[in-house]
Amino acid sequence: MMAVLRRAAVAGLVVGLVMLYLAGVGLIGAFADRHVVTEYLSLGQLMLLAPLLIGGFAMARQAGSVVRRLSIGAFAGGMGGAVFALGILVVVALSPGIRGVFIRANSELVSFVFFGLDPGLGALLMVGSGLGLGLAGASLPVVPPTVRRGLLTGAAGVVLMSMLEPFVRPRLTEFDLHDVVRFLYQAGGLLPLAALIVFGVSVLLGVVWRPARTEVQRRFAAADPGAQRVGRWIAALLLISFIATLPQLTGVFITQVLVLVGLYVLLGLGLNIVVGYAGLLDLGYVAFYAVGAYFTALLTSPTSSLGIGLNFWVALPLVVLGSAMIGLFIGAPVLRLRGDYLAIVTLGFGEIARVLFLSDALEPWFGGVQGILSIPDIIDEGRYTIPLLGEISGPAATYYPLVAFCAVAAFVAWRLKYSRTGRAWNAMREDEDVAQATGINIVNYKLLAFAMGAAIGCLGGAIFATHLESVFPGTFNVLVSITVLAVVILGGMGSIPGVVFGSLALIGLPELLREFAEFKLLVYGGVVVLMMILRPEGFVPDVTRRRELHEAEPEEEEEDEGDNPESPEATPTAAPSPA
Amino acid sequence: MRRIRRVSLVDVVLWGIRIGVVIFVAVGTYLTLSDGLLAGENWRDLLIFGIAQGSVYALIALGYTLVYGVLLMINFAHGDVFMFGAMTGFFTANALAAPDPNTGISPLNANPVFGMALVLATAMLSAMMVAILLERLAYRPLRRAPRLVPLITAIGASLFISNSVRGLYGERVLGYPQLDILRGTFDLFGIPVLKTQAVVIVGAALTMMLLYWFVERTRTGRAMRAVSENKDTAALMGIDVDRTITITFAVGGMLAGAAGVLYAIVFPQVHWFMGFLPGIKAFTAAVLGGIGNIVGAMLGGVSLGILESVAPNLLLLGFGVPSPNQLRDVVAFSVLVLVLIFRPYGLFGRPEGK
Repeated sequence: MMAVLRRAAVAGLVVGLVMLYLAGVGLIGAFADRHVVTEYLSLGQLMLLAPLLIGGFAMARQAGSVVRRLSIGAFAGGMGGAVFALGILVVVALSPGIRGVFIRANSELVSFVFFGLDPGLGALLMVGSGLGLGLAGASLPVVPPTVRRGLLTGAAGVVLMSMLEPFVRPRLTEFDLHDVVRFLYQAGGLLPLAALIVFGVSVLLGVVWRPARTEVQRRFAAADPGAQRVGRWIAALLLISFIATLPQLTGVFITQVLVLVGLYVLLGLGLNIVVGYAGLLDLGYVAFYAVGAYFTALLTSPTSSLGIGLNFWVALPLVVLGSAMIGLFIGAPVLRLRGDYLAIVTLGFGEIARVLFLSDALEPWFGGVQGILSIPDIIDEGRYTIPLLGEISGPAATYYPLVAFCAVAAFVAWRLKYSRTGRAWNAMREDEDVAQATGINIVNYKLLAFAMGAAIGCLGGAIFATHLESVFPGTFNVLVSITVLAVVILGGMGSIPGVVFGSLALIGLPELLREFAEFKLLVYGGVVVLMMILRPEGFVPDVTRRRELHEAEPEEEEEDEGDNPESPEATPTAAPSPA
Repeated sequence: MRRIRRVSLVDVVLWGIRIGVVIFVAVGTYLTLSDGLLAGENWRDLLIFGIAQGSVYALIALGYTLVYGVLLMINFAHGDVFMFGAMTGFFTANALAAPDPNTGISPLNANPVFGMALVLATAMLSAMMVAILLERLAYRPLRRAPRLVPLITAIGASLFISNSVRGLYGERVLGYPQLDILRGTFDLFGIPVLKTQAVVIVGAALTMMLLYWFVERTRTGRAMRAVSENKDTAALMGIDVDRTITITFAVGGMLAGAAGVLYAIVFPQVHWFMGFLPGIKAFTAAVLGGIGNIVGAMLGGVSLGILESVAPNLLLLGFGVPSPNQLRDVVAFSVLVLVLIFRPYGLFGRPEGK
């Protein structure tokens, strides 16, 4: 008994410290005005209180009687609330001096985390809500799985719906649905009644989803092969038409976000070949991105130092070829290195590329700090017509070529994966010496992976340059490499759908929340660490890779799997907490 | 009997690079020196500056080397441990630098030795704490994972630590308070040396001697060496491996904290992103000296510092490159790349198994 209590107390301490960290780092304050349910709940409050819930949940995931599990959870939650309240009281006692050190420790934050009450009462209420939320969290593992799934989807639905407000609202107004808007939203959050309805619908979806999916899968498996093929074709057609009409459906802003997501999908696909297939950790991937962008700029911009102003499609093969050559040239000397040294060398190359593009010494060619301007659009000055879709302009003009490039890259990656080359990469990644002993030319295959990655990465750079119509050296820093790495890792190394998932979650979601920009890198760092510790195979794992990383463990249970990947808001909130 | 070897493309490229580097260095040096673009004093100052900067690199490099020795992993987040030490050191120094209302002299200037000791102590302790936490939370669960996994984790941790600092302490660039007694120069055998640089060199040298004594002469140091030799055997000899690894991280963290304060004496500005470049450069230094080798890390640090301050001027000025000091990072990274390609076991080490 004592041991359990002590563990709960430690959990409470951790929860309290995590809450203090979240407040101190500024996440709570940044989301304080972002309403989930207008006037009742803001995203900041949700983030602040979520650790209490999670703490209770974690403590109740053990054997024992229901009463005991619940009380342990409540105890952990209450402890967490108390630790946090104590910390905030210390801050109150030390202010204003403490502001010189911790910039977020102001009275606004204190009043926010204490529910607008004065410190004494607020601290008491905090302990109380710790107990309550700990209990609530602890009840989750106790209730039947269907109920739990329903509740979690319901909560996720409400959060998602409120986050989508800036995009749902203009769409609805466009179709003259002012009443619906007025019913749903006020001051950026869902109105209580609307929140209740959204919650109800999401709960229903959450409860129905899994049985429905198994039923569909069962029927599909039972159908005859001809019908299966037709079904696949229909699914593919639906997917394609959905992707093709996305810009029309969602409007300019989201299309802009989608272009960004697409760029990272492209980069991720390239890095996936290098890291995921061949197992070479390349931290200088941004170098190829930069080379692609700068080559394109040099060749197509009439104002660049070359000043030849080629058409994009004429320049593209040259750019890809040039980048692949550079990939080979850089790769040749370094690929004999052991894995971790290779990572650092490539990091060095990435930095060298950036500093060179930035330097005064090469300014006559690359324009130094000013970069290169007036790069033409990909197709006909950014205005063209597609049959069935009508005239395309704005970010959508980049969207379509980008999607096409992504599709080509994904196809190439997919075919490569199951080819002789892919198997050679796989063998090499698992054990270099054995692979060499079976007659695989390690250096050549590594070079091939490197060059493939370089070619795809430079495609991303080329599109990026035309999209922005300019290139600046400041864009190409090491953080881009690490972001792409995080995208690949979140989805799962070696997994193609994983790249799309990772890009949507890490690039797309943050764009939905303007306040998030400041904390993006923090979350990327946290995500990478957490994924490596908890789920190294990623959320959309590659089958082989998953088996490899869990060799010793028995196969994971089906039940455990559905919870995390399906609640999209799990990424931003869960990321910084336990680390 | 001569063996006929197939010459591969890679070998050709490697020889090309070797020859190119040699020619570049020779021609650049000749042009610069023959033109007499910089006077003797300039070179001397650059050299002293390089040593000062290099001794800071050496302190950080020791952290990489120690950790690599016991865990065989590159602790990519070490640069951020260094940054954290410098930041907390700043807040202590800043509190001490507020002038006393009665005398008008700040405690830091009234009692510089004690003040600096306090700053150093907070920096070292806080950096040590971060290093221990890092090992405990991020690296320990991955002891048996494939080799790239801890490295990727370390990269994530680096981003996480630096951005936490950015969130907690803000994005501002903070100016370190300067000590009055460290202003100006003093004469060393007729050569004027900046006092700050002298303090940094002496401080780093003392710290390194202390470390050497610790690793070579104490029981814990012996345990560390045993663990880096072979973890399993060390465990069989009754050494608590987990504890030894924690101590290694703690020692590395303390060195990084000390380096943070010394770095701030030379470059009196700290901010949340300052850990990245010195971190990478210190890693370069560690590789330069042969990673895992303590004396090598010290020598590697000082050599890299000198190279970085002298080489851009020596090699590039002669070619008429404008503002060659902009390219000092390129020099550092090129050294990194070249060393890793041609002598991955370091300048002072030997290839594995020979």
